[in-house]
Amino acid sequence: MHNPPDEEPENTLSVSPPKKWAAGVPAVVHALGYSLEQTSPRKTGVDLLTMNQVGGIDCPGCAWADPAPGRRHRNEYCENGAKHINDEATTRRITADFFREHSVSDLAVRSDMWLNQQGRLTEPMIKRPGSEHYEPVSWNDALGVLAQELTALDSPDEAVFYTSGRASNEAAFVLQLFARVFGTNNLPDCSNMCHESSGFALSETLGTGKGTVSLDDLHHADLIFLVGQNPGSNHPRQLTALEEAKRNGARIVAVNPLPEAGLRRFKNPQKPSGIVGRGTQIADRFLHIKPGGDLALFQALNRLLLEAEDARPGTVLDHDFIDAHTTGFEEFAQHARTVDWDDVRTATGLTREEIEKVRDEVLKSERVIVCWAMGITQHKHGVPTVREFVNFLMLRGNLGRAGTGACPVRGHSNVQGDRTMGIWEQMPDTFLDALQKEFGFDPPRPHGLDSVNSIKAMREGRVKVFLALAGNFVRAAPDSEATEEAMRSCRLTAHISTKLNRSHTVCGDTALILPTLGRTERDVQADGEQFVTVENSMSEVHTSQGRLEPASPLLLSEVAILCRLARRTLDGEADIPWETFEGDYGTIRDRISRVVPGFHDFNARVTRPGGFQLPNPVNEGVFKNKVGKALFTCNEHVVPRAPEGHLLLQTLRSHDQWNTVPYTNNDRYRGIHGSRHVVLVNPADLTELGLAQGDHVDLVSVWADGSERRAENFEVVPYPAAKGSAAAYYPETNVLVPLDSVADISNQPASKGIVVRLEPVLDRTQPTSA
Amino acid sequence: MAHEDDAQQAVPTAPRMRTDGDGVTRRRPLRGQHVEETVEVDVPVRTAYNQWTQFKTFPRFSTVVRDVEQLRPTVTAWTLGYGPLRHRFAIEIVEQDPDSYLAWRGLEQKPSHQGEVEFMPTESGGTAITVRMLLQPQGAAKIVARSSGAARLTARSVRGELMKFKQFIEGLGQEGGAWRGTIRNGRVQHDHPEPPRSRVAQWPVG
Repeated sequence: MHNPPDEEPENTLSVSPPKKWAAGVPAVVHALGYSLEQTSPRKTGVDLLTMNQVGGIDCPGCAWADPAPGRRHRNEYCENGAKHINDEATTRRITADFFREHSVSDLAVRSDMWLNQQGRLTEPMIKRPGSEHYEPVSWNDALGVLAQELTALDSPDEAVFYTSGRASNEAAFVLQLFARVFGTNNLPDCSNMCHESSGFALSETLGTGKGTVSLDDLHHADLIFLVGQNPGSNHPRQLTALEEAKRNGARIVAVNPLPEAGLRRFKNPQKPSGIVGRGTQIADRFLHIKPGGDLALFQALNRLLLEAEDARPGTVLDHDFIDAHTTGFEEFAQHARTVDWDDVRTATGLTREEIEKVRDEVLKSERVIVCWAMGITQHKHGVPTVREFVNFLMLRGNLGRAGTGACPVRGHSNVQGDRTMGIWEQMPDTFLDALQKEFGFDPPRPHGLDSVNSIKAMREGRVKVFLALAGNFVRAAPDSEATEEAMRSCRLTAHISTKLNRSHTVCGDTALILPTLGRTERDVQADGEQFVTVENSMSEVHTSQGRLEPASPLLLSEVAILCRLARRTLDGEADIPWETFEGDYGTIRDRISRVVPGFHDFNARVTRPGGFQLPNPVNEGVFKNKVGKALFTCNEHVVPRAPEGHLLLQTLRSHDQWNTVPYTNNDRYRGIHGSRHVVLVNPADLTELGLAQGDHVDLVSVWADGSERRAENFEVVPYPAAKGSAAAYYPETNVLVPLDSVADISNQPASKGIVVRLEPVLDRTQPTSA
Repeated sequence: MAHEDDAQQAVPTAPRMRTDGDGVTRRRPLRGQHVEETVEVDVPVRTAYNQWTQFKTFPRFSTVVRDVEQLRPTVTAWTLGYGPLRHRFAIEIVEQDPDSYLAWRGLEQKPSHQGEVEFMPTESGGTAITVRMLLQPQGAAKIVARSSGAARLTARSVRGELMKFKQFIEGLGQEGGAWRGTIRNGRVQHDHPEPPRSRVAQWPVG
């Protein structure tokens, strides 16, 4: 165990060649190394051996599904999950002395890493108007201040209630209930910023907002596409599923602007072949695509499939499926045949021959799955791209059968469950009617604010109170300067948090830190020890229960904080038994079972080993969209272009990072060590731009309205990024993403495909902090 | 730029299809080398069929099936046990017609198997249940499987299991549940606009 750092780590960059494989022994060494830095061997052992086990802790690191009970490894976690869980279980503590020592403005210039490394929050803190310091406050006073601000608003819509994907189903349900009884649908969430484009596209075309694939499907697919995702760093346990699929004969096509290590080879540290052998090759075919070229790629593939059907009628397309279950095929086919090969070449950087080889893979495969993540959804045309995936799957009937389907790979552990529980600013009337029937109040019907619109409303003074259930909104959101201005415009900001982050330091006139229990900790309430539930990326709902003693006796659970806040704010309105909810989470689940479709007998079913899986209508042969059939769509052809002298930037995470929190300045798979202020650029582009390794540049983004945004002093690293593109770390480069840079239809921030130029700087050698 | 490895690739067997008089394409029944066993059970077709669809109950009568997980209507995972040995594999139901026919195939490519079961009413009011199974083992097991002894052993095992099912359903007298859906080409067909298992949250998930 090490003490928290006093000073920021030095930024001294060294670069080594990118790795050609992921995991292996180094993953174990790094996971244990970081864990033991943070906490004791005993706590590390307790956490890791109960993580993702039946009755244990659901890893908060990602939403990847667990194998069925009885098929789980003794060590059912990855390097990043191990780091994340022990980052939470750290023995470091932040006390009132820390805040006396560090003013808010001092904390506001600290890096994300430094803030996180200070340890767990232990007691409620308040920053009063005009004060430069947080100071201790009792829970009663803290919640009283928050309740008073809320009730003093002219309208409930002047408050925003943000949810991060760490929140449990129970906490999420209570929060949305409280917000709606209070009178607003202003319930933005991190879903707005990660897979909103997937949700919109899948709902429209298939009538389900969720993926249709289970682990067993992946294991039994013939062909798996990994598009715009980096499983080696962002969902490493997916590699185990891919390894199983390969063992069973699957082929994998990876599509990415960067040749990520985890797309190339996986050394499973739980197998001898992963320790001393070469491991498993993941991608049989790698398409080095330009950012945003995925739509054009799948449109081209669809055209090729239609032409293959023309050449051999009745042998390529699944006419039974298309005729019986879909609509819009003729219009789609007509549109697909207009794909222009020159445009495809420009958009993707791929040759027609490369795409034809992929078509051949498809034609050999009876069962196909497409997996994707934020490399797709965070583009302006994220929704059309996901729609085109659906077109592609439908052509050969790769939906609703074993080993087939659509697989949006989600990041945060309960991001899917929170949405299922009603955390959405646009919940349909069916849900609101069910709430009304169950609780006897009239929920507000007008749609509320999503994340981007919340920021705009705060900046414009239309929202005055911001409450966050977990997360680090300031750093997760785009356009950092605008977001920070928005937060500072609020009368009150409050965060239910486990650890310190920048959202506590960029705050409203009054700011509250409401410290809460982590996933690793025992949660004892009036009715005894509680567990919470979550829903993973494959719609499996199961329990999570911590084993460690809380970081402080003053911590309250998320559910307890929200129930107490509701009691203080609503003063008996709607006659909801908040106190009972706080004392026994089973009573919340009873209510959920009557409000949320698919959760009948929730308490009984979720306590079975492994919980239960929510059915997916698509796999039941039903498409519950507006037209009642799976919908082929015609998507406009898009060719992302950067003006001469500019590149298309994608923001991304390093391997040693969890969401907005970097654990170190290293990114060992990409060969980056000691600094995060780097920009990765194709060597040919560097030559054209007159730049070389080690040059320092400002990244300047150019937006349609002529405005420019600047991220200062990044070091140039030649890297095998797709020609014409650049990559730099999130959240440091969020400042480059304009608030209006959003995906069409979904309003998801578009943090990929940002047009930037690299302006050399000669007089700065050190990056600015934060 | 593309990197590729076009080394040995498992090409899945093309599904054997037939087009029936109703114009619907169905998987063709097994022909050629396979194990086939028939038993008559003294319950009506509907009872026998309904009980057969309750896959999770197979461990109640079977001597080799230890556990069955119903992952979705078309997919089940079976755990077979012989003494301390366990083998789990997933199967996909590719065709299913109520009171008539059910065909499946293993989802593992190595080893692979497929099978079908037919339900035919008998003159006495009972049901003739015919099971056909085709095993396609890989590697050394392939050589063993070619022997007539292996075929006899498989046939005896299938017959034994069928006899256990006969005792089970005749003893119960009526089925303990039913799944009456239809499956075509591995996909559930519905004539009901909102089957119970489709009643889940449909709003977009970001």
